[in-house]
Amino acid sequence: MKFRKVLSGILAATMVLGMTCMSTSAEEEEKLTVWCWDPAFNMNAMYEAEKVYQQDHPNFKLDVVETPWEDVQTLLTTAASSGDLSTLPDILLMQDNAFQKNVISYPDAFTDLTDSVIDFSQFAEAKTAYSVVDGKNYGVPFDNGTVVGAYRTDVLKQAGLTVDDFTDITWSEYIELGKKVLDATGTPLLSMQAGESDLIMMMLQSAGSSLFDEEGNPAMVGNEVLTSVMGIYQELVTSGVMIEVNNWDEYIQTMNAGTVAGTINGCWIMASIQTAEDQSGNWALTNMPSLDNIDGATNYSNNGGSSWAVTSNCQNVELATDFLGATFGGSVELYENILPSGALATYLPAGESDAYAEPSEFFGGDAVSAKLTEFAGKTPSNNTGVYYYEARDAVATAIANVIAGGDIVSEIQTAEDTVKFAMGM
Amino acid sequence: MSKGKKIAQYVFLTIVSIISVFPLYWMACSATNQSVEVIRGKLVPGTYLIENFKNLIGNQNLGAAMINSFKYSVILTLISLVVCSLAGYGFEIYHDKGKDLVMSIILLAMMVPFAAILIPLFQMFSKAKLLNTTIGFMLPTISTPFLIMMFRQSARSFPHDIIEAARLDGLSEFQIFYRMFFPTMRSTYAAAMTITFMNAWNSYLWPKVIMTNGKSLTMPMLVANLVGGYVTDYGMLMLAVLFCSVPTIVVFFVLQKSFAEGITGAVK
Repeated sequence: MKFRKVLSGILAATMVLGMTCMSTSAEEEEKLTVWCWDPAFNMNAMYEAEKVYQQDHPNFKLDVVETPWEDVQTLLTTAASSGDLSTLPDILLMQDNAFQKNVISYPDAFTDLTDSVIDFSQFAEAKTAYSVVDGKNYGVPFDNGTVVGAYRTDVLKQAGLTVDDFTDITWSEYIELGKKVLDATGTPLLSMQAGESDLIMMMLQSAGSSLFDEEGNPAMVGNEVLTSVMGIYQELVTSGVMIEVNNWDEYIQTMNAGTVAGTINGCWIMASIQTAEDQSGNWALTNMPSLDNIDGATNYSNNGGSSWAVTSNCQNVELATDFLGATFGGSVELYENILPSGALATYLPAGESDAYAEPSEFFGGDAVSAKLTEFAGKTPSNNTGVYYYEARDAVATAIANVIAGGDIVSEIQTAEDTVKFAMGM
Repeated sequence: MSKGKKIAQYVFLTIVSIISVFPLYWMACSATNQSVEVIRGKLVPGTYLIENFKNLIGNQNLGAAMINSFKYSVILTLISLVVCSLAGYGFEIYHDKGKDLVMSIILLAMMVPFAAILIPLFQMFSKAKLLNTTIGFMLPTISTPFLIMMFRQSARSFPHDIIEAARLDGLSEFQIFYRMFFPTMRSTYAAAMTITFMNAWNSYLWPKVIMTNGKSLTMPMLVANLVGGYVTDYGMLMLAVLFCSVPTIVVFFVLQKSFAEGITGAVK
């Protein structure tokens, strides 16, 4: 009798232990690790996505590791080059500009998401294009880098202008208006970091142009859009409508301290603008100027933005894709929840939500979120490729030389030669 | 020296001192100001210190980062001093042609940037199952060519007669190192300690690459996290930088006198 009691006790204990182990392993299966870099922005978005997904998957857990973008790139390069991908997380956030480069350079490090549950047709086409390589989708679009023209309405008023005067205009009109503002107030319209090519790239993309052709070869020499863009940049500086500053902090300072009357950049710049709370109500948003006399020129472009990639180290791809599909690729609720942090969707159905129609007090009561989602839908695609950053740097050097008195055509030739050298051509 | 010349000298030194100290002053001031005030160039202390501190500890695991940085830096410094001083002493006292050649090869390693050996090193550590381990964290920087060279140079000025006398008195080779060389070379150890501690405290790339599980946050990683976002809170950032700088400043000031002696190679 005693033996049977002991035996049944052991069996019961084994069952309890077994069930505990089973539930532990079930919980482990529902866990994903994520790398991203901004606690207030993309990390917050992941935590909100976790909450949304937990509604149907109570055992689901995310381990979000704060990893600055430069480190994501270093760690990815190190892991992929050494052939040991075990250090990579299940999901990582990748800058759109670097997406194609990384997928082409390290094809073994990423999971093809084309045939997964994620419906890519629900995103702005220009946005998904960043993470498509050879017709395959490798990324789930996240934040919107749609370009905005942001203006200080109080300064414009002194020159007798409103933000409407800056809507749907061309760059030549922009320069004329800029001169008017400069004469009336002594304030330049725009500031940019010297030695950076952000504005050039935004202008190029606004006309659907790129530094590379479809085959990925450099297409700078004889590129009429690039020549036109360089000329506009030069005129912006020489006319005094735009000032160049030395670094990013100085650039932010020009806006926060009111040294300039506006800026043109990816919509994420709004978060930095809004840190100057005393300027609330004095800013307004509109689209960027378009290139004069260029076929396909638009008032819309993109700068920055990022997408989620599933690495090949992910042990549960089904869970990762289901999670991304149910949240960033399918939940308007999620996009509503993360809207206050400034995370604007490229998931088109989110733009129709009521939350996106809420007016922004800082930007003069405008429904900026809906406006930006609309801009995103009109943005032409960009062709990045493996040597995108090398080309950007070469163009940045070229424009710095042009500002110092160099000739546009020969500087473009030098830039193309530099990129070809980097490509081993 | 004429009075005028002296005044000019003092004026020059004062200006240079202000230029040197100003960034530290600005860092400390900025830690007490709001982000937008920092960006607008406010140069006087403000009232936002507590708020910045609350934001910092709410945003980052400051305590864990401090403890990790201290733990790794102190252990690494101690092991490094033992290993490198033994190596430097050995290369000088027992030198022959073969060891001199090895020393030259070690010095050549100084010219190779760390980024160039990062991937092969990572591969080695990965195969040895040392990823995400304290040993993996410390091993590549325990022995550095610079420290070995520094101890070798110091050992050069160490009187060989003392070693001979000690041998005659019956001391073993290790006892000679421990009881004769070590006390004489205190200033060199102090200088080496300062340099190693600062390097260990500030090391970023290797710890980041090897400790990927996110549980080994150090102070430089914490500071990098604060500038990794789209909007930087400069007040909070400067407070974190202040926290990150204080230990190295303290170590430097405590060992300042010996550091200067050690660097110039003085033997008492």
